[in-house]
Amino acid sequence: MGLQMLMNATLLGGLYALMGIGFSLQWGISGIINLSYGAMVVLGSYISLEFFNFFHIDPFISMIMSGAILFVIGAIIYRGLLQPFLKGGIVFTLILTFAVRLIVENIILKVWSADYRTIRLAYAGSNFQLGDVYIPLTKFLTFITAGILIYLTYLFMMNTKIGKGIQAVALDKEGAQAVGMDVEKMYMINFALGTALAGLTGSLWASIYSFSPHLLGPLVGKVFIIAILGGLGNIWGAAAGGLLLGFAETAGASFLGSQWQEAIGMVIMVSVLLWRPYGLMGKKFFG
Amino acid sequence: MSNNKKVNIFLLIIAVVLFIFLPRFLSGYMVRVITTIFMYAVIAQGMNIMSGYMGYLPFGNAMFFGIGAYVTAIGMSKGLPFLVVVPLAAITAILFSILLGLPVLRLRGHYFAIATIGMSAAILSVVKNATEITGGAMGTTLPIIDKDPSIVYNYFYLAMFGLMVITTLSLYFIIKSRFGFGIRSIKANEEAAISMGINTTYHKVVAWAISALFTSIAGALYAYWMSFIAPDEVFDVMIAVNTVVIMLIGGAGSILGPIIGAFIIELFAEVAWSAFLEYHLAALGIIIIIIVFFVPKGVSGTIADFIKRKKIRARKRVSI
Repeated sequence: MGLQMLMNATLLGGLYALMGIGFSLQWGISGIINLSYGAMVVLGSYISLEFFNFFHIDPFISMIMSGAILFVIGAIIYRGLLQPFLKGGIVFTLILTFAVRLIVENIILKVWSADYRTIRLAYAGSNFQLGDVYIPLTKFLTFITAGILIYLTYLFMMNTKIGKGIQAVALDKEGAQAVGMDVEKMYMINFALGTALAGLTGSLWASIYSFSPHLLGPLVGKVFIIAILGGLGNIWGAAAGGLLLGFAETAGASFLGSQWQEAIGMVIMVSVLLWRPYGLMGKKFFG
Repeated sequence: MSNNKKVNIFLLIIAVVLFIFLPRFLSGYMVRVITTIFMYAVIAQGMNIMSGYMGYLPFGNAMFFGIGAYVTAIGMSKGLPFLVVVPLAAITAILFSILLGLPVLRLRGHYFAIATIGMSAAILSVVKNATEITGGAMGTTLPIIDKDPSIVYNYFYLAMFGLMVITTLSLYFIIKSRFGFGIRSIKANEEAAISMGINTTYHKVVAWAISALFTSIAGALYAYWMSFIAPDEVFDVMIAVNTVVIMLIGGAGSILGPIIGAFIIELFAEVAWSAFLEYHLAALGIIIIIIVFFVPKGVSGTIADFIKRKKIRARKRVSI
């Protein structure tokens, strides 16, 4: 029982980790609290649903498409809407990203209705056993894929020219500008990367859970908690935060009842904010 | 200048008198719409003192609205009269704001906004789960006033209007006071304010308590007016979002801005609801974007800019 719970928590936490990283990068580096993040995740799920229904493409493959589509959407939102108002402060970015959320929510409701949807994969029912612990195959695949994507994001940030540019901008904006870097472009790529990660998460989510527009709000709550736990703009911190939230939710659900899940997460977040405002992992990773 | 001021006060008094007699000429439906506008204006003033004047965005301020509504519902279900319950609701909200504010107001900018959202969500889930006291997620009912509905709606119209006038007047005097200069200095530069010897913690906590007071009384009136409340409705994030939009369009950091904003947004929402029934979310989203792009300083800020520019132009003409 204990081991099974631990395994469930880890599998859930892996997905949360991937989901939290995009939000954490957007907040920590581009300085935008993206209230439309939940909408982007769910949009990714619906994109995978369409690919599955029309072309019978597995979400594990169509996630590349939803990642690409959401990368473009993210870039457009940043350039067109957010960039002119970054200096206006938190009120503007919060309200603008909320406006984006409302528009996307409306589109989702109009195109796919408010019903819960699922993607029924042929191998969804199969699972394997490890000692006494049952592991559903799709959840296991999701966990592995999420891990690979997190590692790829890390490699991108550390090894590519653009990734290093984003780090440089996060460390010292004026300095980066002084050596001739296109700071706004770095911020835009970073923001778009964040929405792309949201889309990828959405596709993975769709392969194991059902989804509907009702998820928009709760998902934003979860990414807040993950980002705060890990420290903003910190990839491994957010990954740890995601796993931690997975554990907290699973443990909370079995000891207190699932109706307290949300409250537990929020209380943890506010406590961390008060005692360790840079997250449990200590200093910011970038900058 | 003082002559100008006298004219302004005179105009405002006329407006107040007009609004008192307005319900006689309006349908019951419009009276309810305008009551909602007054309510949002009160909540927006609560946001205005924190965000517009002090520079702290309390995105979870709907929690005080919910607390006000729920204390009223619980108190009245225990048989207490409304006029006793309202002060209780206000005191509860103020206690909450002080207890939560002392630790949370140390946080700045993003972190403060997020912490208030977190607390609001936590309180919501407590209210939902404490079924014996609050009636749970299904909501709870309040006693209905045993009179003709149109008379009752007029009562609430006048009560909400009175609350809005009192809120706005108090805000006006608070902002003009020594305390008001204190909170404005926090927005300008908190470190400088501290080094000038301003007790910023005291100023921030008291400002949030004032914000909680207004918001919770609006919640109390709302609960009695609707005679039914549900947790998802009174702790809704949309209340805060609407309020921020109202504050932005009216002009953050101006006394009459939130009232102007409430009228513009709520009247527009009425039109949007009937004209674009299936697209009202997107319509609201697009309106927010348009507002931010074209009137980022709000209506009152834009008008003030216009007047200033005109004056400068006039002065230039004289100098030539």
